[in-house]
Amino acid sequence: MISVVFYTLVVVLGILSMGFQMLASRLLSPHYGSSIVEWVWLISTFLAAFSTGSLLGGWISNRPPAQRGLLQGIAATLGVASLAVTAFWQKPMLDWIELKFIPDVAQMNDQGSGGMNAAVFLSCMALFFVPVTTLSSFGPQCVGWLAARGTPPGKASGVVYAVSTFGNIAGVMMTVFVLIPNFRVSHLLDVWLGVALVSLTGLICILRSAPKPAAK
Amino acid sequence: MKSPRILLLAVLTLGGLAPTLRAAAIPSIADAGDYSASFDTQYNSLTVEKVGSVVELRARSRRGEFLESAVDLKDPLTMQVAYTRTLYAAVFFQPNPQRALIIGLGGAGFHRLFAATYPDAVLQTAELDPKVFELCQTALDFKPTDKTPVALMDGRMFVKRDTAKYDWIILDAFRGGYVPPHLKTEDFYRECAARLTDQGVFISNLHQGTELYFSDIKTIMAVFPQVVLFNPPESGNVIAFAVNYKTPVITDSAKWGAPGTLGKVFGGKLDLVKVRTEHIPLPAKDLVDAKVLTDDFAPVEFLDTVKTNNTAPNK
Repeated sequence: MISVVFYTLVVVLGILSMGFQMLASRLLSPHYGSSIVEWVWLISTFLAAFSTGSLLGGWISNRPPAQRGLLQGIAATLGVASLAVTAFWQKPMLDWIELKFIPDVAQMNDQGSGGMNAAVFLSCMALFFVPVTTLSSFGPQCVGWLAARGTPPGKASGVVYAVSTFGNIAGVMMTVFVLIPNFRVSHLLDVWLGVALVSLTGLICILRSAPKPAAK
Repeated sequence: MKSPRILLLAVLTLGGLAPTLRAAAIPSIADAGDYSASFDTQYNSLTVEKVGSVVELRARSRRGEFLESAVDLKDPLTMQVAYTRTLYAAVFFQPNPQRALIIGLGGAGFHRLFAATYPDAVLQTAELDPKVFELCQTALDFKPTDKTPVALMDGRMFVKRDTAKYDWIILDAFRGGYVPPHLKTEDFYRECAARLTDQGVFISNLHQGTELYFSDIKTIMAVFPQVVLFNPPESGNVIAFAVNYKTPVITDSAKWGAPGTLGKVFGGKLDLVKVRTEHIPLPAKDLVDAKVLTDDFAPVEFLDTVKTNNTAPNK
């Protein structure tokens, strides 16, 4: 039973991560258009967050149990809080960044201008980097949890990343083909926040559960 | 160890040269020969084809090739694409434009007659794709001047940041046959409305045949108190004209300026009497269930896939 819940939560985290990228593109385009520059920064930010999150999660999973529990709580809190910032304050933040870095037409009269790049980069970092980093940090910890329960480390790693990637695919598909056509992006961000709160709480409970005793 | 490096070098070199090789396929404008050349740009897959003196600029889309623009190099003032003629119905509502903004350059088929007709007016263009601008000059013989400047940037960003007021704002931005969602929303139309002069006209090139068409009209109507539609013959285009004011009434065609008088300024290159007959009523019945598009809710790509049976605009 616990395995079913565990893998379901891994899928949900995958959905939250990549589905969030599709929502992110909708948040940025009214401010920066739909140029290739916007996509460069958006994709790079998400990849950087996946990378940083994996490093962070790997480090957390090797901490002593008490410290690990604390760090998991901090990561989850940070993830939910940053999603809340995106859900509730993305519009004023994007307005402020856009005006600050691109005050007039002269500042943006070519797509590679410094102001445009800086504005999109800062927007991506402010709104998307922290949530995705923290969500990604749970991947290596899930591998660690499976390994502690007797699954060979290589297999544990392969299974977690396969299931998580399945969640990524489901997230992209569902967001683009079902959610965006039927719901407001602002409402979807609220849903993301709620689902992240519930799923991270559940996952932390599982990760803190005692490993199965080793077979004799 | 050397072989992979040489292979990599060869791939990179060929990759770097590829755009140059493709670009070299296009002859100079003076060349009388027919040709067809394709270009993959940052945003589009474009084809430039010259047959006789007519050059067409087409973009590949999921529905096949989409004609963006066409220019007769021997007679550039005569517009080859029906809907570009219809854009000039704006004179019925604002006959003396001093400043106009067009979002989407295409082959600049519209620009040449505008520049010839209103030599003192400014026609500002916002075009996202630098290659479109390049091809427009090299293949379609467009020569931008200080009266027809082109800004290479997203149209919405231009509208938000530019402080000038315009008598005509024309939205004709397509990417492979569809308009990006952020140029279809109520929020964007409000930004355009704020850039219009008191008697200014907002003009949008719409496509019939899908649910998106009805959402487009309803979204424009959510911002502008008066909207008038024109349907160029034998085309799927409908051109929407919208103004910021409630009076005088523009929806009654009997009150528009006489096309004979207005048409004289175009030097015989535009038949406004014919354009006037393209006026169609609003599809009121179909607008009831249409969704207004906003930045927060803009399923443009999906509405564009839902076909409607009743493509007749007056239904």
